[in-house]
Amino acid sequence: MSEATPRITAPYLESFSHQNVRILGKVRQLRGEQATVDAGGQIIVHLNRDAHLQLNHAVEIIGKVQNDLSVKVMASTDFGPEGGIDFNAVEAVVDATHRYHEIFYDKE
Amino acid sequence: MDYGYTTTYTSAGNQDGGGFLPGSQNAGDSGGAKRKFGTDTLRPVTIHQLISAHHPSPDAEHFIIDNSEATQVTFIGQIRNISTQTTNVTYKLDDGTGIIEVKMWKDMDQDTNDSAPGKPALVEQGYARVWGRLKAFANKRHVGAQIIRPVGDLNEVQYHLLEATAVHLHFSKGPLDNGQTKPGANGASAASNTNGIDSGYGGTSGGAGGMQIPANLSSRAKKVLSCIQNAQQSQEGLHIQQIATQIPMDVGEVQKAGDELQNNGLIYTTVDDNTWALLDV
Repeated sequence: MSEATPRITAPYLESFSHQNVRILGKVRQLRGEQATVDAGGQIIVHLNRDAHLQLNHAVEIIGKVQNDLSVKVMASTDFGPEGGIDFNAVEAVVDATHRYHEIFYDKE
Repeated sequence: MDYGYTTTYTSAGNQDGGGFLPGSQNAGDSGGAKRKFGTDTLRPVTIHQLISAHHPSPDAEHFIIDNSEATQVTFIGQIRNISTQTTNVTYKLDDGTGIIEVKMWKDMDQDTNDSAPGKPALVEQGYARVWGRLKAFANKRHVGAQIIRPVGDLNEVQYHLLEATAVHLHFSKGPLDNGQTKPGANGASAASNTNGIDSGYGGTSGGAGGMQIPANLSSRAKKVLSCIQNAQQSQEGLHIQQIATQIPMDVGEVQKAGDELQNNGLIYTTVDDNTWALLDV
């Protein structure tokens, strides 16, 4: 099994179900064990105990896409206030990841 | 008779060699006396590229990525694990495309490598940028790092991945063709702005596909050259009258520019003395 965690946004969730992915988005809502992250659309994430998400911060989540297209968090990294991250670049990276996947991940 | 020639030749050669070797010894940890410095490159890559890079032979010093030799590489990754050994520190880096080990050899003389006060430290789960050389040891790949430093601005992660993609496309699909840079040059020449033309051509000649434009070319010669370059290329090339109406420019001026371009070996005459074609196509 590959160790790659492709960077995706909400529209890619369906094609990556049951796979490990990496999502860089903005924290929109915190509801205890659950949170909503905006990354090209709303994504519901199920937090683990180590996850310390902050509202209106950018966060990078490594997790597994579930059946219902929510994401189970395995690890999260705070990327600071969302204004500090250029989300056009983030979008471009996701686009490049799938357009030129040969240098990012192996397609099954 | 040819003593003079021989003497100057060898002494020049010695000077070159002497000047170069001391610098190369600072280059780092990789031994190997006969490395080809001429082909040394520093390439931005993803870890996936390092893992899938082709190794031409088990003891080769370089790897092949996108059919081109890669020696030094630079990449970014999240530190998954730091393990300090007696002779080196091993970092496990994950950039989302794969995981690879990075070894930084300890400098025994000064153990202040990354513990200098005030310097941001490398921590687990933090992002780091590495400059180093890909190595294969006992069927396992790792990177011998020259430098590893923490990433301060996380936009650098995105920047690096896009840069690696751009370089990958450069090697796999060829450099950006002139179609990308020329419109800029055209626009500038339409505005008949000499500086604009210069910068436009700077972009063109930067690509491997672009032709070398002598720096001392006059602005009218550059305009004529750009007109011929952008014209539909045919066997006959362009007639002086066509060029004069397209730029537009006085026929006499075009004639002078054409002479200059011919003297520089950039164009040649075809069906008659006043019809010119590009020499490099």
